[in-house]
Amino acid sequence: MTFLISGGAKNGKSGMAQNLAVALARGGTHYYLATMIPVDEEDRERIRCHVADRAGMGFETIECGRDFQASLKDADLSATFLLDSVTALLMNVLFDPANNYALDIPAAERCADQLEAFARKAGNVVFVSDYIYSDAQRYDESTETYRRLLAEIDRRLARVCDVVAEVSAGQAVVHKGAWTI
Amino acid sequence: MILIIGGAYQGKLDFAKSALGVRREQVFTCTGRELDFSKPCLYGLEEYCYACVLAGVEPAEEFVRHRDQWKDSILICQDLSSGVVPMGAELRQWRNATGRLCQYLAGQADRVSRIFCGLEQRLK
Repeated sequence: MTFLISGGAKNGKSGMAQNLAVALARGGTHYYLATMIPVDEEDRERIRCHVADRAGMGFETIECGRDFQASLKDADLSATFLLDSVTALLMNVLFDPANNYALDIPAAERCADQLEAFARKAGNVVFVSDYIYSDAQRYDESTETYRRLLAEIDRRLARVCDVVAEVSAGQAVVHKGAWTI
Repeated sequence: MILIIGGAYQGKLDFAKSALGVRREQVFTCTGRELDFSKPCLYGLEEYCYACVLAGVEPAEEFVRHRDQWKDSILICQDLSSGVVPMGAELRQWRNATGRLCQYLAGQADRVSRIFCGLEQRLK
């Protein structure tokens, strides 16, 4: 089954997604697709916390910072995948460090295509994204582009995933499908 | 009247087209204080609210005044309610005025739909 989990920050999306992925795997292989590319000590500390949170859950970690498709080339498609998060992956892809973090929209669109294709062909996937669309701000053009592209990926994944849920205070509000595993 | 709300880029207008049969030429897109009630669908009410704030006008009061003109319309407004309190006074007033308008319209509506990732959540 394929799941899209979104919602506001610090509402329990990651923990819920990890438990879900373990349950979906039923003892089989489950991959954690790690999307964060650390740039400083604060990032490394966050990653250490995330790794500690997952300890004992049996995940195999695949670094998936930028090239989604290439990072999965040796993975077993019949396994279970947890991608946490689409938000971070798009950030890495859209803002190109080799080009002074200029917007690379074609790369973001390729990433969106790859994510949708993966959702269509893989058996068990949990995608985690972030709901960043309901504030009263006027953002600069690059931030607005990022929001628009993330929303497009969310909507494409929502279309193809079996279950779509919004997590609020650790509770899943199911918008599509039935949360049964 | 049907009220469609939701965050930015969630597919509110697409929903009006696909689920409610709205055609492109039936949509009035707000860019300022002007409203064209001859169109059955008014989109981007948050931009109307922003223009009202700049002009010192309360958008909910304007809608109360024109009630008979939109009572059978499809109204679409972005939900601005869930971020940090904006630093700028204009943005704060914008958020407040848009929230008050949505509350009023939701009270008047026959149906309120919130769109999340392109999916409808029926609120009323």
